[in-house]
Order: sequence, then structure tokens, then C-alpha cells
Amino acid sequence: MDVLLQILVNGLSVGAVYALFALGYTLVFSVLGVINFAHGALFTLGAYLTYLGVGGAVGSNGALAGWALPLALPFPVALLLAGVGCAGANLLVEAVAFRPLRRRHAEPLLYLITSLGAGVVLVNLLQIAFGAEGYALPADALGDLPPMLTLAGARLRSVQLLLLLVCAAVMTVLTLWLERSRGGRALQAVSEDATTARLLGIDSDAMVRLSFALSGLLAGLSGGLVGLSVSIAGPYFGIVYGLKGLGVLVLGGLGSVPGALLGGLVVGLAEAAVPGDLSGLKDAVAFAFLFAILLLRPQGLLGRAPITKV
Amino acid sequence: MTMPPLLELRAISRRFGGLQALEDVSFGLQEGEIFGLIGPNGAGKTTLFNIITGVTRPSGGQVLWKQTGIEGLPPHRIHRLGLARTFQNLRLFESLSCLDNVQVGLGRSDRRRALELLALFGLQARAAEAAGGLAYGDRRRLEMARALASAPQLLLLDEPAAGLNPGEKQELSALIRRLAAELHLTVLIIEHHVPLMMQLCDRLAVLNFGRLIALGRPDAVRHDPLVIEAYLGGAGGAGGAGGAGGATEDPS
Amino acid sequence: MLDGSLLVQMLIGALLGLSVYLPLAAGQLSLATPGFMTVGGYVAALLSTRVAALGGAEPLYPLPSLLLELLLAAVVALALALLVGLPVLRLRGIYLAIATIALNEILRVVLLNNSWTGGAVGIFAIPQPFGDPLGYLAALAVLLLLAGATCQAIARHPLGRAMAAVRDDELAASCTGIDSFRIKLLAFAASAVLAALTGVLAAHFFNTWNARQGSFDASITTLAFVVFGGSRHWLGPVLGGLVLTALPELLRPVGDLRLVVFGAVILLGPLLFPQGVVTPALLQRLLP
Ligand SMILES: Nc1ncnc2c1ncn2[C@@H]1O[C@H](COP(=O)(O)OP(=O)(O)OP(=O)(O)O)[C@@H](O)[C@H]1O
Ligand SMILES: [Mg+2]
Repeated sequence: MDVLLQILVNGLSVGAVYALFALGYTLVFSVLGVINFAHGALFTLGAYLTYLGVGGAVGSNGALAGWALPLALPFPVALLLAGVGCAGANLLVEAVAFRPLRRRHAEPLLYLITSLGAGVVLVNLLQIAFGAEGYALPADALGDLPPMLTLAGARLRSVQLLLLLVCAAVMTVLTLWLERSRGGRALQAVSEDATTARLLGIDSDAMVRLSFALSGLLAGLSGGLVGLSVSIAGPYFGIVYGLKGLGVLVLGGLGSVPGALLGGLVVGLAEAAVPGDLSGLKDAVAFAFLFAILLLRPQGLLGRAPITKV
Repeated sequence: MTMPPLLELRAISRRFGGLQALEDVSFGLQEGEIFGLIGPNGAGKTTLFNIITGVTRPSGGQVLWKQTGIEGLPPHRIHRLGLARTFQNLRLFESLSCLDNVQVGLGRSDRRRALELLALFGLQARAAEAAGGLAYGDRRRLEMARALASAPQLLLLDEPAAGLNPGEKQELSALIRRLAAELHLTVLIIEHHVPLMMQLCDRLAVLNFGRLIALGRPDAVRHDPLVIEAYLGGAGGAGGAGGAGGATEDPS
Repeated sequence: MLDGSLLVQMLIGALLGLSVYLPLAAGQLSLATPGFMTVGGYVAALLSTRVAALGGAEPLYPLPSLLLELLLAAVVALALALLVGLPVLRLRGIYLAIATIALNEILRVVLLNNSWTGGAVGIFAIPQPFGDPLGYLAALAVLLLLAGATCQAIARHPLGRAMAAVRDDELAASCTGIDSFRIKLLAFAASAVLAALTGVLAAHFFNTWNARQGSFDASITTLAFVVFGGSRHWLGPVLGGLVLTALPELLRPVGDLRLVVFGAVILLGPLLFPQGVVTPALLQRLLP
């Protein structure tokens, strides 16, 4: 029983990260119908920015070796600022890699390529600045919170709990915002039908920027939290999550917000259930699910079948 | 009419979510006739084309080609049976030359035949140019040349005269008549310009909100009260449908 | 500066570029080229190090054994490509890109965790069929010529036009009698086979082989070949593969900026040269 509970707790907290990731992809996908491959790089950026924010210094291999902010912010503030920074960076990605193509009504394939390029540039700039080494956020980043909590027999690190809470909060706020607010409904309108939305007076360019900013914010927040939870393995660590996030995205259904959540939790739980002696194969779980779902239900768990108008 | 129809639609329906785009539409096309499909915007005309050509599956009903059901076949199989179409919103192979667009339709490399087809539409001088760079009227013509290349028995034209000036429309109408006669084509044509359709078509079907509201010879359809009502204030114009059978001006 | 070994790598780059180009010519972005190359390399590495009968008596690895490896690698890659392509190619373009990333990752994880394939360290001491880089150069040049000639023949053939038609407008292509699913599957399978054949030669050349050949990095690098060179003519990816493989050597002074330059090529390429460096218009001017 305790083992199952432990798997559940571990699975949920990892799944929450995947869900945040897939949600970031989904926000852009539902508005533009394309995937922002730079998302993983933004996640990395969020982790590094959080690290700098709490007063961490650049290691000896980076071009900025030894450099640190003159002040150390509390973790929540650093995390939030990192999220904002990533929102800004994603706006830059939109301006450089997406907008020129949108103006030209270029084919969707080119977006994949340019956003991939933006991601590669970002990751390698980080590598140059910070070096390839790993970074760990200070253990006391969460202040007085005990590092480990015990919940009905399952052991839970406070970071994991925080991840779960942030994920739940983001999901709730985002869903409410999308359903209830003017801005959210405008965003949905654009994703349903950009032309009609324009006729209704919705500025679809502004909505695209909004979706990129929100998605960048999510990438930054999840990057900072994961950085705290498992430490930053190097500039490429976002890519690994980014690739898995894609699996989760397809699993849940391209463009579906609840699908992103469900997909994340399914993959997180499945990974946590992989027995210890096979743990090396854990990283293939998300992709195995992806193939299974492509065979059985191509539109994903909660996605809608795509419609093509002629 | 004792001959079995070349193409027969039996109780075709199609839903898109909550929208009933087509409901219980039935009619048949006799071999060799030019058959017009008219109706206000959103009536379901293009959806019907999509169902006939395998792009969209019907929610219900049957499409019979020479008395064999073809609903559910993929588009390329239906094309190979002898049905070719054009698209309302022009779908050319933009990066390919005009010659290659037609050769794709031919399904083989045959420069001479492709050039003949281009010449039929006055496009021989454009043979080497990329389709994406053509003027609008040329693009419409090229799409027809591509559709004709496979020597189809049934040609489906979705608003081939849209965007053409009155002179061009008249030319196109004459060309369709000539091609139909020379190539023994059956033609199913969607067009909003009612006077043109009255003059061109042997029979007409009128769709409104997904339902077939009239079917018959142009002069009969023209005086049908249901049709006049459907067109009151619509893009086609009741006046156009009622009076000016031979007129060529575009009412829109 | 252009020593034999670099030339060999440039030819490998050109072949991988062609492998990415083939599905792209039918409008499908596949990132699986490094994955299939890995598979081909493992076929060669396993056969030549584990099957003693293939080794022969001479100091050099026998050519018939190499040919057998090529054949087997092609078969394995074909089977894998059909397995992945059959479900995925029925869906819209984006799914193939994601599914091929998934394929790469599954392959990588499985190969890394399998003692039979040498685990994380891979396979060492792969025997040499050729005494010096010149032999590899010749073998790769033959493969490249064959692949190039095939692409050239296809371009003038209805098949090539059908691929271009599917790339331009899949739905219109279907309505013009083209079985677009078959065309996409064919292009994807050809891409897989070419990558696997290249992998066989590469594994022997590098002498050692491991799962890292198929990393996400490699996917991006090979994609850059096509984006830079152009995807409208087969010479584009060949040029891209040759130049971008040599570039890091030529840019050695830039050091760490190498991958930033790669990223910038991928990012700015489609913006500045939507069709890549080698465009049909350019070729028409050069080869009237
Ligand atoms: N793939 C689809 N998904 C959802 N709704 C669709 C789809 N295709 C068509 N519709 C809807 O079905 C109805 C009929 O559309 P259709 O294109 O057949 O009309 P039409 O008669 O061709 O109109 P027009 O004269 O404007 O071309 C419209 O309300 C349209 O929005
Ligand atoms: Mg229509």
C-alpha cells in the first residue's frame, strides 16, 4: 500500500512538470497550429535565471565565470522573475522565428525549423555563458520548510509538493482565465478561427504574443522548480524534458488543455511505476505511450479530430 | 429517362458537430449532361463535392458511380474511376510549372499531351512558369486543365467562374460546352452566377441549408417559388434568377 | 586542412542530408535520420564483431561481408520505417516530426540499456574493410553517386512530380489521383534505408559505435544540411552536408560558437533563403 502511495506521489509530482510543459506547447499550438520547439530551451533559461536570482554564481567553465548578482532574492521572487524573463525571451523568439514567417503565410514546416534554430542558439549561448557543468540550487532555497514531509506513509519532498501545488494553481487559473475572462475567450476565439476572430475585432497578433508570453512564463516557472527539485544537469537538460513534453502533448491531444494535464499525469505515473531494475528504460515510457496512442486514437486522449475545410 | 444515371446520390447527409450541412440529398446525373448546382452561401454545395470525391465521408447515404457504391473510398481511388474536380479556393501545385501541374494530372510524363491541354486553355505560353506566379484567371484555367488531364468522365467544377470578368465568364461557359461535347464529358458545376447557369446547364439542382429544394430544367427551376424565396436578398439575386436568362452581367 | 578523414565525414554528411531531403521532398519532416543511421551502424558493428564467420582470414574485413551488412541494414531499416510510418504517415505533417523524435529516443534508451549492444559505451574495435580513408571515400562516393543518380531520375519521373505535388498540396494531390500515403511512405522508407547504409560505412570508419550517434543534436545538424542547402533539388542537401560538415573544422577558431552558428543557420535559413542556397532557378542559370 505504502509502495503504491509512494509511486502515486512521485508520479504525480513528475507528471505535473510534464503537464506544465505540454501546456506551454499547447498554448502556442492552439493559437498558431504549430509547435514551438524552443520551449525546452526556455525551460533551461528559467532554471538558470532562477539560479542566478537566488544569488548563485557562474561556475568556472562559463564565459561569465565567477559572476553573480550582487543580491540574493528569496526563491519565490527569483522564480517569478525567471518566469517573467522567459516570457520576454519567448516574445523575442516569436518576433524572430515566427512573425516573419506568419507575415509570409509560410508553410508550418518552416516554423518547426526556425523555432528549433532559436532553441539551439539559446541553449548554446547558455552553454557558452555558464559552461556545460551542472548547477544545484541551494538546499535552503525554500527557507524554513522541512526538506521532507510524510503524508499518510508516503515520503514527499517539499519541492515535490510545491511542484504539485504550482501545477494545480496554474491549471486552475489558466482554465478559469480561458473560460471566463475576455482575454481568455478572445484567445480561444483566435484558436478556433483566426479570420472570424479578426472580423469580430480581436487583434490576433496581440493574442499570438499573449500566448507566447504565457507559454514562456510556464516554461520559466517549471524550469526553476525542476532546477530546485533535481538540480540543473547542464544547458541541455531542458531538451530532455522538452522531448518528453512532446510525447505528453500528443498523448493528451494537440491543443487540449485538460489533455496536457492528463497526459502529463499518465506519463509521470507510468514512469514512477517502472521497477527499479529497469529504471534505465524509464525515459522511453513517454514515447512508447506516444506510439500506442498514435495507433489507437491519433487525436490523443482528449483531443478533437482535426478538420480540414476545402 | 430509362438509362441508369452515371452518378447517383441517395439520401446524402452530413453533420459537422451541431451543423447539418447536408440533409437527405438525392439526385442523379445522366451521362453527357451539364448539371448545375446552385444555392446561397453555406448551402452545402462544396460539401457535396467533397463527399462525391472522397474528401469528406457522408454521415449517411450512398454515392453510386455506375451503380456501384463509392462512398468511403479514398480520393485517389475515386479519381481513378473517372471523376476529376477543381476547387473553390484554387489548389494548384504552386511550386510546379504549369506543364508539371498538368502532367501530375496525366499521371505520366507526356509533354505533348500536356502542352495540348494547356493550349486548350490558352496557357501554352506559360508552360514553364511556376503555377504560383500566374494571374488569377490563368490559375483557374490551369486547374481545369489539370482536372481534364486524366480524361475523366465526370468533371466537377466548384465555382470556376468566380473572380472572372463578364467577358471571361462568357468565354468559359462556351469552353465548357465545347469540351463537354468534344470529350463526351458529364459536368457537375457549382456557380453563383445564376443567369450563366440558366444558359449553360441542362438541369439544375438547388440547395438551401443543406436540403434539395428544387431539381429540374432551368426554366422550371427559375419559376419555383421555393427557389425565388431562397434567393430573395441572396447573392444570386431573385431578379437574376427570375428574369434575365441570357444576361451576362454579374449581379454581385 | 582537407585531409582524407574530413572528406569521409563530409561525404557522410552529404548522404545524411539526402536522407533528410527525401521525405521533405514529399512534404514530410522526419528527424529520424540519425536514428536509422544508428541502427545501420549497430547492424554493422554487431555482425562484424560478434559473427566470427564474417571476418575471414585476411587482415582486412572482407568486402562480401560488408555487402551483407549493407543488405541486412537496409532490410532492418525498411522494416522499422514501415512499422513507424504506417500509423504515423496517415496523420498530418507535425505528427511525423514528433513520432520520429520519439523513435530516436526509444532507440537511444533501449540501446543504452542493453548489454547486448554494449550499453552506454557501445561497441569497440569494429574491423576495417579498407586500409586507409581512401577506401571509405570510394565506397561513400559510390553510395552518394547512386543515391544522387536515383534522386535525379526520380525528379524527371512521375514519382518525383507526385512527391512535389504531395508537398505542395496533399489534398489536391489525392484528388488528382495520387496515393499520397504511399508516396509519403515510400519517401520515408527510402530515407531510412539510405541513413542505415550510411551508418554501416560510418561504423566501420569510426571503428567504434554507440547510441549517442542518434541524439537530438544529430537530428538538428542533419536538418541544418537541408535547410542550408535547400530542399527543392537533391544537390541542395548534398552541398549542405558537405559544407556544414567541413564548417566546424574551418571554424575551429570560433570554438564554442560552432553550435550557435548551426542554430543561427537553422533559424535564419528559412527566413533569408526560404528555398535554401540551391534553388531550381539557380540551377537553371548554372546548367542551362
Ligand atoms: N470541414 C468542415 N467542418 C465544419 N464545418 C464545415 C466543414 N465544411 C463545411 N462546413 C460548413 O458546412 C456548411 C456548408 O458549407 P459548404 O462549403 O458546403 O457551402 P457552399 O454551399 O459551398 O457555400 P459557398 O457558396 O460559400 O461556397 C457551412 O456552414 C460550412 O461552414
Ligand atoms: Mg462552396
